[in-house]
Amino acid sequence: MGALRFLLRRLAFSAALILGVSFILFALINAIGNPIQILLSETPGVSEEMIATLSRYYGLDGNFIDRYGAWLWSIVHFDFGTSIIYNQPVGELLEVYGLETLKLQLPAILLSTLIATAAGVIAAMRQHGWADFSIVSSAMLGHSLPGFLVGIVLILIFSYWLGVLPSYGAYSTRNLMMGSMVIDGLWHMVLPVAMLTVFNTATLTLLMRSSLVDVLRQDYITAAWASGLPARRVVLHHALRNAFIPQLTYLGTLFGLMLGTAPVTETVFTWPGLGALYITAIHQLDYPVIMGVTMVITVMLVVATLLTDIAYVVIDPRIRLG
Amino acid sequence: MRSIPVSAPDPSPAKAGQPGPLLAVEGLKVHFHTRDGVVRAVDGVDFQVGTGQTLGIVGESGSGKTVASLTLLRLAPPPARIVAGRVVFEGENLLLQPDKRLAEIRGRRMAMIFQNPATSLNPILSVGQQLTEILRWHTGVSRQAALDRAAELLTLVGISDPAARLRQYPHELSGGMKQRVGIARALLCEPALLLADEPTTALDVTIQAQILDLLADLRQRLSMSMVLVTHDMGVVARMADRITVMYAGRVCETADADTIFNAPQHPYTRALLESVPRIDHSYSGARRVLPSIAGRPPDLLHAPPGCRFHDRCPEAAPECRRTMPREHLVAPGHSVSCLRRGSPGEETP
Ligand SMILES: Nc1ncnc2c1ncn2[C@@H]1O[C@H](COP(=O)(O)OP(=O)(O)OP(=O)(O)O)[C@@H](O)[C@H]1O
Ligand SMILES: [Mg+2]
Repeated sequence: MGALRFLLRRLAFSAALILGVSFILFALINAIGNPIQILLSETPGVSEEMIATLSRYYGLDGNFIDRYGAWLWSIVHFDFGTSIIYNQPVGELLEVYGLETLKLQLPAILLSTLIATAAGVIAAMRQHGWADFSIVSSAMLGHSLPGFLVGIVLILIFSYWLGVLPSYGAYSTRNLMMGSMVIDGLWHMVLPVAMLTVFNTATLTLLMRSSLVDVLRQDYITAAWASGLPARRVVLHHALRNAFIPQLTYLGTLFGLMLGTAPVTETVFTWPGLGALYITAIHQLDYPVIMGVTMVITVMLVVATLLTDIAYVVIDPRIRLG
Repeated sequence: MRSIPVSAPDPSPAKAGQPGPLLAVEGLKVHFHTRDGVVRAVDGVDFQVGTGQTLGIVGESGSGKTVASLTLLRLAPPPARIVAGRVVFEGENLLLQPDKRLAEIRGRRMAMIFQNPATSLNPILSVGQQLTEILRWHTGVSRQAALDRAAELLTLVGISDPAARLRQYPHELSGGMKQRVGIARALLCEPALLLADEPTTALDVTIQAQILDLLADLRQRLSMSMVLVTHDMGVVARMADRITVMYAGRVCETADADTIFNAPQHPYTRALLESVPRIDHSYSGARRVLPSIAGRPPDLLHAPPGCRFHDRCPEAAPECRRTMPREHLVAPGHSVSCLRRGSPGEETP
């Protein structure tokens, strides 16, 4: 089976999945009822006519299929309608807030992969030794602490006591750090990225270690030692690549479920990201935003799954394309 | 570098000047320090391999054959610990060499083939990558030269169309083919000594015969010495010049193959031979496994005092329960470790 056919099949499957989710989402939101009605019916001085007019304005009239079709057609053009609360195109909000989320998540995933790989290698090489013990226990601790607690402790130490790092927002409201947008932005990223990294690294380290311990016991590793290869080659070339295979799924999940960890981090650090946007939208029943963010989550999950599948094919020759 | 800790190695250097055997193992003890106690997997083992010779090591499952052979390259898995002994190879005690020196010997002077071809090749590297990596590391030749040499070796081990095979991954090869690749990998640098731990046990019977023929042929052509570990008497009958019989971490008897088969001395060796239906058809029949002797080998965690074979031995005398026999020569080149054959003993508590 050719690589192109594999890719096309996967893409078709992904598209079908996204379509399915979009339908379910639309049906669910629809079942909640007319949000204009819900939001305004209690408000004194708002007449039924006004509600009807507003509903028409937001495209809430007409039958279900027509509205679903229209919504689908618009999101294909990256037009998710207008936010009821922000009174701004949802597409714009997704872009601006989405970038802020990526700014935290991508560095955190990258950092935690690097740290977890290094820690996992050290722990697995000295299994049951002192280093192994320290790494495993800190990972367990990091794994069991609630994420927000880590965030709050970081704020307490670095913002409140030491006063060296900002505790909220993506940029300074008044004086930019060293007068530069870039440096100021990076400065604000430190703590939230650290919190996310702690969270991701803990699980990844434990996975990495156990998978490496398992691989290091394999015959082909003994065979590599018996061939006289140096430790660097045996561990990095022969063992690590094999040990990485089981991590791919978890890494894919981290990418796909970015927005699962985003709300907590972005709430703790008042970060203007998609997670915070999502929470606000849900509280205020800003349904175009809810639907927009949900679609973004779906697409990200689907894309992450696709990337994971491709990564498996690239790293593991045993996997047949099909 | 993976290498097991050596806690009390004998520091005396190899006797200079005398051209000794290619490999001499002396008083080797390898113990596993487990949570339940000390497993005496190899507990005072001696054997030698001369240049061009093939030594067969036979014994029931769990007798310490694999641990002993891995220890020759200092590769026994943790928590193994070399407690005593020397492994003198080409004049050097390998147990005292620094890791760097050991890595030079591994794969170049002494190489190994493994029991299970399905698990002993790295699944995510192509045959070519695995072979050339070793060659380039040891010899520093160019990529192309390494590929040429790897192809040459694949031809030598009877693999057709080597250029195509080099691009394949282990899962694309049959079991016999994988074992041939494993053999090619061990022979890349033309080692002086080849360790083969049950090289045919995991293969189909017909393939077993082919692989044994191949090993016999290669040994001749490359004038290589070999340590062949097996529990198949048929295999040693066909392949070995000398045979060492192991039982529960100790050597019972060592002699020329003819002597072992025609005039065995140790009761355990005799029992082994009686448990083998016909040795002359060697490996062409069904696989023959040893433990058809009454009783079970001892638990090495609680090794019995005295001779370890005494509770299964038809000739056991009361002294065998208390006194551990030490190996002694009963004839030139034939040593036995049995009180009933005149071995000196050492009291065990
Ligand atoms: N990792 C380990 N931890 C504890 N004990 C071990 C370990 N590996 C091996 N042993 C013990 O060492 C003894 C010798 O094992 P070894 O694998 O050398 O036997 P063998 O003669 O090769 O048997 P087989 O014919 O089944 O391959 C066994 O009794 C086993 O219990
Ligand atoms: Mg074995």
